[in-house]
Amino acid sequence: MRRLTPRGIDRLIAALLALFAVGWLLAVEGGQGIGRDEAQYMRAGERYWGWFEELADNLAHGHPARSFSAAGIDRYWFDNAPDHPVVMKVLYGLSWRAFHRCHCTGPTRGLHPIPVRGRHITLPLFARESTAFRFPAILMSGLLVAMVFGFSRRWLARAPAAAAAVLTLAQPHLFFHAQIACFDVPIAVMAFAVAFAYWKSLRDPRWGVATGLLFGLSLGVKHNAWLIPFFLVAHYLWMRRGDWRARRLPRVPLAFVSMLVLGPILFFLHWPWLWVAPATRARSYVLRHLEHEHYNFEYLGRNFNNPPTTPARKWLRATAPFVETGLTVPVTTLVLAAVGAGVLARRRRGDPVQPGGESEAPVAERPSWLRPGADVDRAPGAFVLLQTLGPLATLAVPSTPVFGGVKHFLAAMPYIALSAGVGLSALGRALGPALSAAGPRVRRAAPLALAGLVCLPAVVETQRSHPDGLGHYNLLAGGFAGGASLGMNRQFWGYAVLPMLPELNARVPENRALFWHDVLSDAISMYKRDGRLSLGIGDTGFGEDGIRRSQLGILFYEKHWAKYEAWFWESYGTTRPVFVREREGVPMVTLYARGGGTR
Amino acid sequence: MKLSAAQRSRLAVGGVAAVALLAIVETLAAAIAPSRAPTEGDWNAAAAAVREGFRPGDLIVAAPAWADPILRVHLGDLIPPEMAARMDDQRFPRVWEISQRGARSPEGERGEVRADRRFGHLRLRLVERPAPAVTYDFVARWNEAQLDPPAAGARTLQRKIVEVDQRLRLAVMTEPVGGRAVVITFPAVPLGRELAIATGLHDTWMRKAAQGTVQARLLVGARAVALPETTNDSGWTETRVDTSAEDGRTLPVKLEIRSAAPFDRFFAFAAEARR
Repeated sequence: MRRLTPRGIDRLIAALLALFAVGWLLAVEGGQGIGRDEAQYMRAGERYWGWFEELADNLAHGHPARSFSAAGIDRYWFDNAPDHPVVMKVLYGLSWRAFHRCHCTGPTRGLHPIPVRGRHITLPLFARESTAFRFPAILMSGLLVAMVFGFSRRWLARAPAAAAAVLTLAQPHLFFHAQIACFDVPIAVMAFAVAFAYWKSLRDPRWGVATGLLFGLSLGVKHNAWLIPFFLVAHYLWMRRGDWRARRLPRVPLAFVSMLVLGPILFFLHWPWLWVAPATRARSYVLRHLEHEHYNFEYLGRNFNNPPTTPARKWLRATAPFVETGLTVPVTTLVLAAVGAGVLARRRRGDPVQPGGESEAPVAERPSWLRPGADVDRAPGAFVLLQTLGPLATLAVPSTPVFGGVKHFLAAMPYIALSAGVGLSALGRALGPALSAAGPRVRRAAPLALAGLVCLPAVVETQRSHPDGLGHYNLLAGGFAGGASLGMNRQFWGYAVLPMLPELNARVPENRALFWHDVLSDAISMYKRDGRLSLGIGDTGFGEDGIRRSQLGILFYEKHWAKYEAWFWESYGTTRPVFVREREGVPMVTLYARGGGTR
Repeated sequence: MKLSAAQRSRLAVGGVAAVALLAIVETLAAAIAPSRAPTEGDWNAAAAAVREGFRPGDLIVAAPAWADPILRVHLGDLIPPEMAARMDDQRFPRVWEISQRGARSPEGERGEVRADRRFGHLRLRLVERPAPAVTYDFVARWNEAQLDPPAAGARTLQRKIVEVDQRLRLAVMTEPVGGRAVVITFPAVPLGRELAIATGLHDTWMRKAAQGTVQARLLVGARAVALPETTNDSGWTETRVDTSAEDGRTLPVKLEIRSAAPFDRFFAFAAEARR
């Protein structure tokens, strides 16, 4: 048998880590509810598939231009526009079409956003349609784990690099978002991919072009991609600070030229909705996010739904990304990351990050726009610092909406894990002299054992948090209960209802008039399509009128929903819920029945 | 300071040991934490004990307050909106506090502990304290009030469970109008030694949508008392007026409210005359 080369071994480990990530996520995603945003993206993805289906028909009938007319485009691509571009939603739709186990012509036929023409011929990998929608996001998460390993291997030995990869996924909040058909982990994956390509482009021109291509794709994933260039430019200017000292402008590197040219082209090409009126629609997309409303979000006992106006509130608001990171990332990971940050800060210019890692000594005499990092130390510490603090600092600006919490700065998390890998490596190396008297087996096994040990709390904590990762807080906070006592957000957008669907199914006949509170009708349809919700269960609509019409109703615990509870008390004539879905004693969702019902 | 090789080695071993210990503690904490939560059996047992000793007029609270929905699953039939959405806890002479994880409720802080029992992961305490007699509950007797200018369109005077600062309160609610004061008159209030009034603005979304403030003034007979300004951030603000001089007398009590920007201002108040 042929022996694997060191690079082959690394590729094998990266693939195994990705497989582990995908397997873990697939094993648990079925317990994860479908939120307002995810339900819309599933609906939009299926509708976008409808366009491809119609395009195939039009091609077969010799009039493909119909699919490219304004009406032919807007009939499908209006969905979820101008909110978000469509790379991931298209993948979700394609994955659904390819991998679901089809029973679409059965009783749920009417629950699809596009007409079901007949039974779909598929590769039926997944029993639930929602899993098929989620599969691309899960694959992206696997890709992230593999990339973190690949990046870390440039600086670290295999054990700490693998630990960095595991610690990336083993974070309760990131893990929550990694399972669902949304964009927050995919954009974090793409941000990492762009930064990785940029890093390689500093000494290899082929990656300069790739950086632009990846950036273009990122723009098609989520608008957070707009921020990527700022953090990379900041690093570039720091790395080339010698140019400033010599009073000359740093050359614009190929990676940035490529991003500037390929980014907008790919963005425009990927989104048919833009083709109809490019300038107007691109403008409406940009304005949608620049003028985004502030949703409600609980932070340290206060409900934020407007930019704060007093200095004290502004300061409090500004701490949110840092405190949320400090209270959600496993503590061992944070401590290792702090050690790693110290190691990166103390590294001498030209030295590798860790002995045996990629050299930072200049390999060229002169600067070049094709290899702009060849004649200088690439400043890995500044790179990690800027990619970590960039997303956090952006979300610390008080005028930035606070809703969403950790999901809005997930792009920082792989770098925290990478820094933890550096810290682990440094600790392992420092242990070396103390083990000099031990046998070679012990010396070889110690770094592996240490890597396994530091991953253990993160993995256990993450598994514990599922499926309520949004409400989970770390050892410093005191878990679910500690987070609730600190007044931290527990959940949003109606994800947490899934574990109580059996309770709702059982409450016949009141459930024909059920008030769903924050669960979107698209999510209700998907639960029914998945076979997890009785088809006879109704939906009485939104707000106070929805409660008045209902016999049974649920309420999600978020501070700003308090008045809904008052409506229940007034309309149902009782303050006594019939059921509370809780995690470790912390209420997540309450079920009320008209007149008090039965427990 | 330069460290010797031996010192560096000791430091490294210490660092690794500390991280390893942290990892073990964090793992164990994550594994054990779920079992620290109160069980259904704990709640049933604590609820049964409350039912056994409960008297009308008692207050039942959960600590931490976030456990309140679970408390109401078990004892909600004893917790009407008047208790759950109370103005404050002053009128209650006995407080049943069901707590977990070492938490304490503000309601259970003053008074003497008459009973203290454990039910698994729950602790039940009965606290007794002196409580004033309520001579007039403005919310319960809201329909005795006169509104000037009279109710018009959607603007009315109503008794309602309002949301102020994301907490529910049973209150009387109305809206200020532009250019003049809205006056709510309770014509005959039997006064005690104190008149307590709490005010706030109802509805998170309205507090998000509008910025106007509300100025309020209380008139006890001929005596005027300015109340703190009610704003989006002022929450549920309680003011206590000393009425010792009027104790035993029945007088009209008026509440005047004004706002220069009355759009979406849902002004809520609750008040009690106490002896």
